[in-house]
Amino acid sequence: MTQVLLAVVLGLLFALGTFLVLRTDVVRVVWGVTLMSQAANVYLVTMGGLTGGAPVLEGGHGGETGAVTDPLVQALVLTAIVIGFGTTAFALVLTYRVHEEHGTIDLGEVRAE
Amino acid sequence: MSGGSLDREPTVIARTVTRLVVPVILVTAVALLLQGHNLPGGGFIAGVLTTTAFALIYIIYGLDYLETELLHRRPTVPFGTGTGIVREYGNVFAAGLAVAGGGGLAAVALGFPFLTQGVAFFEGVPVYHEFEIASAVVFDLGVYAVVVGALLTILAVVGAE
Amino acid sequence: MQPSRTALLALLVVPFLGAGLTPLVYRVLGERTAYYAAAVAAVCLGLVGSLYGTTGTVVVPWIPSYGVSLALYVDGLALLVGTLASGVGVLVFAYSGGYMHGEPGQAKYYATLLAFMGSMLGVAFAADLIALFVFWELTSVSSFLLIGHYQDADASLYAARKSMLVTVSGGLFMLVGFLVLHDAAGAALGEATFRLAGEGSMLANADAMVAELRTRGLLVPVLALVGLGAATKSAQVPFHIWLPNAMEAPTPVSAFLHSATMVKAGVYLVGRFRPLLFTDEWLVLFAALGLATMTVTAILAVAASDIKELLAYSTASHLGLIVAGFGLSGVLGAETGAFHILNHALFKAALFLVAGIVAHEAGTRAIDDLGGLYRDLPVTAAVTVVAALGMAGLPPFNGFYSKELLFHAAWEVATEAVAGGGSPLWWLIPAVAVFGSVFTFLYSIRFLMLFFGEKPEALGEVHSPPVAMTAPAALLGALALAVGLGGVTATAGVHLAPVEAFVGSVVDGTVVAAGDHGGHGNFSYHLPTKVTPYLLMSALTVGVGAAAYPSFDRIRDGVRAVRAVDPLRPNWYYDGTVHGLDRSAAIDIVQTGQLRTYVVALSLVTAALTLGAYAAAGTGLPALVAAGLEPALVVVLLVAVVGAVAVGAAPSHIAGVLTLSIVGFMVAIFYILASAPDLALTQLVVETLVLVIFLLVLDKLPAFYGSIPRLRALRDGLVALAVGATVTVTVLLSTAATPEDVIAAYFVENAPVPAEHGPVFVDAGGGGNIVNVILVDFRAFDTLGEISVVAMAALSVVTLVAMRERGEVR
Repeated sequence: MTQVLLAVVLGLLFALGTFLVLRTDVVRVVWGVTLMSQAANVYLVTMGGLTGGAPVLEGGHGGETGAVTDPLVQALVLTAIVIGFGTTAFALVLTYRVHEEHGTIDLGEVRAE
Repeated sequence: MSGGSLDREPTVIARTVTRLVVPVILVTAVALLLQGHNLPGGGFIAGVLTTTAFALIYIIYGLDYLETELLHRRPTVPFGTGTGIVREYGNVFAAGLAVAGGGGLAAVALGFPFLTQGVAFFEGVPVYHEFEIASAVVFDLGVYAVVVGALLTILAVVGAE
Repeated sequence: MQPSRTALLALLVVPFLGAGLTPLVYRVLGERTAYYAAAVAAVCLGLVGSLYGTTGTVVVPWIPSYGVSLALYVDGLALLVGTLASGVGVLVFAYSGGYMHGEPGQAKYYATLLAFMGSMLGVAFAADLIALFVFWELTSVSSFLLIGHYQDADASLYAARKSMLVTVSGGLFMLVGFLVLHDAAGAALGEATFRLAGEGSMLANADAMVAELRTRGLLVPVLALVGLGAATKSAQVPFHIWLPNAMEAPTPVSAFLHSATMVKAGVYLVGRFRPLLFTDEWLVLFAALGLATMTVTAILAVAASDIKELLAYSTASHLGLIVAGFGLSGVLGAETGAFHILNHALFKAALFLVAGIVAHEAGTRAIDDLGGLYRDLPVTAAVTVVAALGMAGLPPFNGFYSKELLFHAAWEVATEAVAGGGSPLWWLIPAVAVFGSVFTFLYSIRFLMLFFGEKPEALGEVHSPPVAMTAPAALLGALALAVGLGGVTATAGVHLAPVEAFVGSVVDGTVVAAGDHGGHGNFSYHLPTKVTPYLLMSALTVGVGAAAYPSFDRIRDGVRAVRAVDPLRPNWYYDGTVHGLDRSAAIDIVQTGQLRTYVVALSLVTAALTLGAYAAAGTGLPALVAAGLEPALVVVLLVAVVGAVAVGAAPSHIAGVLTLSIVGFMVAIFYILASAPDLALTQLVVETLVLVIFLLVLDKLPAFYGSIPRLRALRDGLVALAVGATVTVTVLLSTAATPEDVIAAYFVENAPVPAEHGPVFVDAGGGGNIVNVILVDFRAFDTLGEISVVAMAALSVVTLVAMRERGEVR
C-alpha cells in the first residue's frame, strides 16, 4: 500500500512539475524543475526500500548487515541534492540575466523580440 | 543586502542571536565533517551547513561585514567578481578540487588505482586507545572545500546583485 | 621486427601535448612559436623514423574491464602517411613562421595545427576501427577550425562549415560500415572485434571476412559505406566541392591539408582496406570513382581563375588517380597508389608553398594577372619547374613514374578483362585515364607559365620572400627532383634504394595477400627502355596536351560555360539543400524557440515510449497489498502534494517560493522516515539556502504572473497528466521488482572495518557511515565528478555576471 501511495504522490509531483515547466514565466519554470528533481530524489530513495534501518553501523564495525536500507541510492541522492542547489542557483541567475537583457521574464515576449 | 523586502535594519535580537549561533553552526559543521566516516555527516553536509552560517552573516550584517569587520580591509567597490572575496571563494573550491584529485593521484603514486582510499589504525594512542585514520578524510576535506567555495561564490555574487 | 611500444605511444602523445602547451609557449615566444611547433613536428618525424623497418601491433589496455584497448599498427603504409604528416608538418610550421607574421590568433592556429597533425598520425597508426574513426573525426574537427581560421570572413566560415558537413557526414556512413564489419567479424573470426590489423584481426582473415560479407549480401553495402567515408574525405566526385573552398584557410594550412593530411586520410583508408575488401566489386567501384574524379576535377582545374583554386582541383584530381590505382587489381595497382601518394605529397606541398609565396609577394592570386615571375622569384621558379612538370607527368620528373604505373595497370586490367571475354567497355579505363591526364598536363603547364612569358603591366613590384618561406619549398622541390632523377639513374642500374625499399614496404601493406602475385618489397622504377602500349599512352597524353595548349583560353572558356549550368554543379545541390533546410517551414514547426514546444514534445514522446514499452513487454501491474501504511508517511506525503498544488496555484512569486519550501521540508521529513539521516540533514540545510537565494533573486524580478488562458491550461494539464501517469506506473513497476543480486549488499559488507584487519588496509572502507564511505571511497571518482559539477555551477554564475560587466551585452 505504501508503494501505491508513493507512486501516486510521485506521479502528482511530476505532473505538477511538468505543468509548471510549461508556463511562460521563467521563475515558474525553475520551480517546476526544482519540484521534479525533488520528486526524482524521493523516487530514488523509495527504490532503496523504506523498511531497513539507517545505513550507519555502530562503532564502524560490521554488524547485522541485512537490516539497513540501500546506502547506494542515498549516496546518489546526497550529491543530487547539492548539485540540485547549484543548478537551481544557476537557473535563477540565468533568469535574472534574462530579465536584465530583455526587461521581461515572460518567455513568450522574450522570443517575440 | 540592498533594496526590497530585506532592506530593513535587523533587530538587536537578530544580531545577538546571530553572533551566538554562527559559531555553533560552524563547530557543528566541523564535527559533522570529522565524524562523517562513522556517523551521519560528511563533506557535503558540513559544506552546506558552513554555507548557511555565512548566509546568516550576510543576511543580518550585510555583504561587506565579513571584509570590513573580520578581515579588516576595505571591501572592493563595486563588489567585483574578479577581485576580493569572491575571488577567494573561487580559490577555495579550486583548492578543494585539487585536494580531492591530488589525494587520488597520491594513491596512483603508491601503485593503487586512482582514488583508492586506505585506512590506518594506530594502537596505544592516549585517551582513544585505538585511533583510526582513513585517507578518505582528505578527499572529504576536498569535497567540503568545493561545496563551501562554490555555494558561497554563488551566494555572494547573487547577493551583490 | 616489433615496433617500439614507447616510440609509438609517444608519437600519439607528443603532438597533442605540444598542442596543449602551445598557449603557454606563445606567451613566452610570441611569433617564434612556429619554430617550437616545428620542433614538436620534428620530434614526431624522428619517432616515425625510429619505427622504420618495423612491423606489428602494439596493444595498450585502456579500460580492461570492458575489453577496450587502444591498438596501434605499424607497416609501410602507416609509416608513409606518418612520415608525410610529420615531415611536411615540420616544413609547414617553419614556413608559417614567415607567412603568419602579424596574423591574428596565432596561439590557436599552432595549437590546432599540431592537434591536426596528431590526429593524422593517429589515423595512420590506428589498428582498431573505433580508434581509427575517432582520429578520423578529429582531423575533421581540427580542419574545421583551421579552414575557419579567419573568423570574421564569411567565405572562410562557409568553407569551414562545408568541409565539416561533407566530411563528417561521410565519416558517419563509414562508422556504419565499421559496425557492419564488426558484426561480420563475429561470424567470420569467431568473436566480434574491431581490430583491423594484427593478429586475429580482420586483415589477417580477409578471405573469411569477404566470404561472410558475401553470404550476407553485405559486401557491396560495406564497400559503399567505407567508400563514402573515403570519398568525402579525399574529395572524390561529387564530394570534391569542399576542397576548393578550403583554400580560404591560411596557405600553410592548405599546403598541409592538400598534401599530407586530411585528404590523404581518405586514400589511406582505401589503401588500408584494399587487402581486406579487394574483389571485383571493389575494382569497378573504386576504379570508376577514381577515374571519374581524376577527369572531372582536372577539367575544373583548367577553368580555375585563382592559383590556389587550380591547385585545389588538381589535388582532387591526383587523389582520384591514387584511388583509381588502389582500385585496379594486382601489384601494379597497389604500386600506383603507394608511389603516387609520395610523389603527390612532394610536388603538391611544394606547389602550395609556391602559391603562398606568389600571393604574399605579388599581392594577387588571380591567374590572369600573373606572369613572368621568374625574374623576381628565381628560386621559386626553379622549384615550380620541378614540381609542375612532375604534376604534368613529364619524364624524368617524379609524377611521370606513378602515372606510367597507372597507365600500365589500366592497360593490364583492360586487356585481361577483354581477353577473358569481358565487354569492350573495359577499354574505357585506359581511355579515361589518358583523357583525364591531358587536362592534368594542360593546367600544370598553365601554372608553370605564371613564371614565364611577359610580366603584365598591372603587376606591381614583387618582393623577395624571406628564407623561412623559400627554404621549405626548395627542400620539397629538391626531394621531388631526387625521386625523379632516381628513375633516371635506375635506368643506368643505380637505384635510389631507400625510396624504392620504402615504397616497396608500402606496397606490401596494400597488396591483397592471396590475390596478387609477387611484388613483395621488390618495388623499383626506372625510365622505360622499350616501347610499350602504356608508354604510347603517355606520349599521346603529352602530344595532345601540347597541341591543345595554345588554345588553352578557349578550352577554359568552354569549361566555364559548361560549369555555369546549375544542375551540373554539385555545389548547386549543396547550397540548395543547406539553404533550403535553413529556410524551410519544417524548421519553424519543429524549432519554435519556445521552451514549451520542446517540453511538450519531449514529455509526450517519453511517456508514449515508456508506456508503449511496458505494453509491448506485457508487464502487468503488481498486485496491491492492503497493509503496512505508516500514518506519519501518509501525512508527510499529503502535505507535500498539497504544497506542490499550492506552488502551481501560487498568486505571487513570494507565495510560490514559500510553498515550494514546504514541499522541500516535507521531503526532508520523508528522508527521516526512510532512515536516511544524512539526506535529511542535507535537505534541510539546502532547502534553507534555496529559500534565501530565491528571495534574493526574486527581489530584483518583476512580480510577473500572467493569467493562463483556459484552453492552454487544459492542454498543459493533459500533458502533465500523461507524465504523471507514466511516472506512477513506472514507480509501481520498479518498486515491485525484487532484484536478487543487490549492489548495495557489497557496500554494506565492505564499508565497515572488517572483523580482522591489519594496521593498514585498502580493501575495505573502514567506516560505519556506509553512505559516506560510498561517497569518498568506493565511488570517489563519481564524487569527484559531482563536486566538479558544483564548482562548474559556481563558475557559470560568476561568468554570467562577469560577462555583463565586461560590456558584452548585445
